[in-house]
Parts: sequence; C-alpha cells; structure tokens
Amino acid sequence: MCVKFDMSHPAPLLQAQQLSRHFGGLVAVNAVDFEIQSGEIVGLIGPNGAGKTTLFNMLCASMAPTHGKVIFNGEDCTTLSAHDMAQRGMARTFQITSLFPHLSVFDNVLTGTYRQQQTGWWACIRHQARYKQEEAEMAAQACGILEFVGLAGRRDDLAMTLPYGDQRKLEIAIALATHPKLLLLDEPAAGMNPDEGAKLVGMIKDIRQRGVTVVLVEHHMKVVMGVCDRVIVIASGEKIAEGVPQHVANHPEVIRVYLGREKVHA
Amino acid sequence: MRAAPFFESAKAWWLGLGVTLVAPFAAFNDYLLHMMVLWGIYSILALSLNIIVGFLGELTFGHAAFFGIGAYASALLVMGLGLPIWLGPLAAGLIAGAFGLVIGYVALRIVGPQFAILTLGFGAIIQTITNYWVDVTRGPMGISQIPPFSIDALGLDFSQASHMYFLVLACLTLAVYLSRTLQNSRTGRAYVAIRENPELAQSIGINTFKNKWLAFTVATAMAGVGGSLYGHYLRVITPDLMSLSYMSALIIMVIVGGKGTTLGPVIGAMVYIALLESLRAFGNLRLVIFAAMLIVCVIFLPGGLISVWLRWHNRVREV
Repeated sequence: MCVKFDMSHPAPLLQAQQLSRHFGGLVAVNAVDFEIQSGEIVGLIGPNGAGKTTLFNMLCASMAPTHGKVIFNGEDCTTLSAHDMAQRGMARTFQITSLFPHLSVFDNVLTGTYRQQQTGWWACIRHQARYKQEEAEMAAQACGILEFVGLAGRRDDLAMTLPYGDQRKLEIAIALATHPKLLLLDEPAAGMNPDEGAKLVGMIKDIRQRGVTVVLVEHHMKVVMGVCDRVIVIASGEKIAEGVPQHVANHPEVIRVYLGREKVHA
Repeated sequence: MRAAPFFESAKAWWLGLGVTLVAPFAAFNDYLLHMMVLWGIYSILALSLNIIVGFLGELTFGHAAFFGIGAYASALLVMGLGLPIWLGPLAAGLIAGAFGLVIGYVALRIVGPQFAILTLGFGAIIQTITNYWVDVTRGPMGISQIPPFSIDALGLDFSQASHMYFLVLACLTLAVYLSRTLQNSRTGRAYVAIRENPELAQSIGINTFKNKWLAFTVATAMAGVGGSLYGHYLRVITPDLMSLSYMSALIIMVIVGGKGTTLGPVIGAMVYIALLESLRAFGNLRLVIFAAMLIVCVIFLPGGLISVWLRWHNRVREV
C-alpha cells in the first residue's frame, strides 16, 4: 500500500519504530514507522484528527509513546524528556505561536542559544575570560540569525508587539539559535497569506542550506508541495503513504482520505 | 542597538556603592543609621525573593520562614554550641539553603497558585514548630541577648549601627553582584525563559525543574544569611519573623520596587523603610497604606517604580 521512497542511505537521523499512542480506548497513532535522512525536508500531512500532532509530540518527547521507539541520531530517545531532546539537537516550533513575550526580539534569540553555551552563572561570577568570549559569540550568532530571518531591524522591540508574521519568523529564529540537527515545524504556515507562504518556502529551503534537516506538519498544500522532498501521509493514526509529493498527491488512497476525490495538480 | 538605561551600567553601580559608602558619615544621627542598616538587610532579603518572584516568576509565601530559619540557626549555634560568631551568617545560609533544597525538591513540581499555597503551608509549618518547640527555640518568647556580630581574630566589633552598616553593605554588594551576574548569564536567561514560557524553555533544552531547584536553593540560602545579620543586629528574634506580615513586607518591596530587576528590590526596600518610619504616626493604618500601595502598583505600575525610569528613558530616546 505504501509508496516507497528510496531508502538506501545507511544511518537515518531520525527513526520512528512502531510508534503508537493510546488515549484510553482511542488509538491516536497506531504503529507508525518512518525514517528521516540528514539533509531532507519531509512533510507530515493528513486530514484533521489524523494524529499528526500526537506523532509530532512523541518525536520531540513532549509526549511518551504507548508503544514503539524514537531513535534520534542513533540513540534510543524514547524515554527522554523534551529538554533532553533539545540538548541532543532537536528543535521545534509550536502550532500556536510560542515566544518569550516580554523579552526583546534579540533576547528571545539569545535565550535560544542556551544549549550551545557551557558557561553559566558561576563562570560569570568568577568573571572568566571563557564566559565573556562565549557571551560575545552567542550575541553574534543571535544577530546573524535575526539577519537570516529578516528581523534585524526589530531587534529591540518586545516580542509581544510584533505582527503575527514576524512572530512566526521569531519562533523559527529561536529554534535555529539552538543550532539544531533537526528542526520540527508544527504548521509553520498557519494563518499566513499565499505571499507569506511563498516566502516561508524560501526560508525553509535556506534553513536546509544551513545544514539543518526539516520535518514539517502542514495543512497548506502549496507549502508542502513547494518545499518537501518527501511526504508522509497519516490518516486515522496510520501511515497510508510515503514518497515524493507528486506521487503521493496522485496516490488513490491519499486522494480518497485526504485530498478529496479530485486529482490535485501540484 | 538601543542604549541601556543609566542604572543598568557598571558606572551607575560604582556610583551607588560610592554613595552608600559615604552616606553614614553624612547621617549624624543614630536613628537614620539604624534605618540604613535595616534597609541593607531588607534589600538582601528582597533581592533573594526577587530570584524566585522576579526571575522564575513563581510567587512564594514561604520566604520569611527561611529568613527566620537563618536568624534562629545563627543565634542558636552561636549561643548554644559556641560557634564562632563570624561563621554565623555562613552557617545560617547553609542551613536555610538545606531547608530550601528539600522543600524546593517537593514544592517545585507544582506551579502557579498551587505552588504559592504549598509554600504558604511550609512556611506555616516552620513557624508553628518554632513557636511550640520551646526547649530549643524558647517558643513565642523568642531569643534575646543574641551577641552582636564580631570577628575576634581581627579585633573587629560590629555592635554599633555605624559598624554594622558596613558589614551589611558588604553583604548587600555581594547580593547585588550575584543578582547582576545572574541576569547576565545563561542561567538567568533560563530562569526568565521559564517565567515567560516554560514549554518553549524546555524545547530549547532548559531543564526547568533543575533550574528552578537551583534558583530556589540559592534564594533561600541568601534569605538565611539576611536572617543571621538581622538577628545579630537587633539581638532579639521571635517566631514573628516567619509570619505573613514579614512575608508581605518582602513581597511589597519586590513588587513596588520592580520585580525581575536588580535595582528594583533595593529601591523597594528603601521606600518601604522610609514609609514605615515616616508614617509611624499613623500606627497600624500604615499597613492599609502599604496594601493600597501594592494594589496601585499592581494595577498602574506592573513593572514597579523602576519602570517609571525605564519609560522615561525610552521616551527620551525616541524624541
């Protein structure tokens, strides 16, 4: 049933093995298997209530799976907590915009560099040279990331005062500041107009250029088709198809459960 | 990049230290000096409470209990076990911090209003034990004739307010330094991140529980040191130190001064002491005035007095 994609690469960056999650009697996600290779952009799509967000939350360890394993970078991460996953190089954004509202745009991104830094309070108390050097490096990185997402001009504004589109960009900037290997985006195009969506596609491609693998859960078909190398389709908690966007879009099962009865031209 | 306000600069802090060093020589009367010592002690306490309330963003009602633990620990160890008095504040900090470590481990698993109520409970338990364990604490009578602070080896004696002031100022300088370095380090940024958005904080690799636990322990240890200084200065302590009236005084200092900043709690302590004394004629009506002040601040100045300066600073810059 599944449309197979070429999986000849040796070591995947992320593997989901038989991932399942039950809520009481409800099976939200049922024995889903997939692999993400380094450098890929993969879309996770499916109709509302398909279990995408549950799957997403299990991947970044904010929810423990009932069965199955999450293997990240060769390590079994099933029992870890969300902050452990972030420490290992997995960053995420949230479906509902999630920022540090009362901090400046710059401080939001600087806070995101947390996991990259070794020196903390104690080093600062002792006035260590290494602390000063690291602080300067992190500040420079934060500036670079703000340039990258196009928020350099708003660095001193409070995050809560930004317009919605800029807030979404800032969210991605915070995630990038963790210097992730893998970035999980939860509906990054939600609430965006087509123009903003097109810019987002460009930005996601640029993120890959920075050496970051991207997985996104998305409803906007234009964004998914425009940016993903590969798409995994979830319906009723099960993986029903997987492959390049054009193939998946023409897959009869996918058309039946997700895209409606008409054929979609990507 | 926007210039930081003057009070955030190193120059301002050196200036502040200079002024506070010279101030006692300008204060010829002992009463004013006494006020200044109290201001210094309360500032240390307010700064420690600010770590929890201002940076972590959790409201605690148990902080006065750690202040009391410090005061009792120091007094009892020095008077009962003959601990050298200069070790008193250190021992008080360790003991209060140890209590904070244990209580924090239990209480910090809960957040928001439930955490506040839990700390209220812990505070009440500690106060009740102090009140009824008469054999050790002398109960509601409290402990009197606590020896004043001194360092015998160096021949230093701090029984006078004018001497005590410099000891308190040294401790306050240390507390300010700790608070400033916290603000400028990734540790402090992690605390603020937890206050602003715990879920996002976790997603960028911050272990929220561990960070909160460290913050709570350090804050309670600082409160213990403050308690020790208080006991050896006033030389009388009662279980009232742990009561809600002291707790609310500390909360007023932090909120009115400006939570989440370093200067705010220090200013808040100054305002509190100044009003407490200048309104002495009003008797218990003062408490009503303080309550009103807290309400006005919460509604109209959520950033505290310090935010007036910030607002002015930003406006001047934009013009």
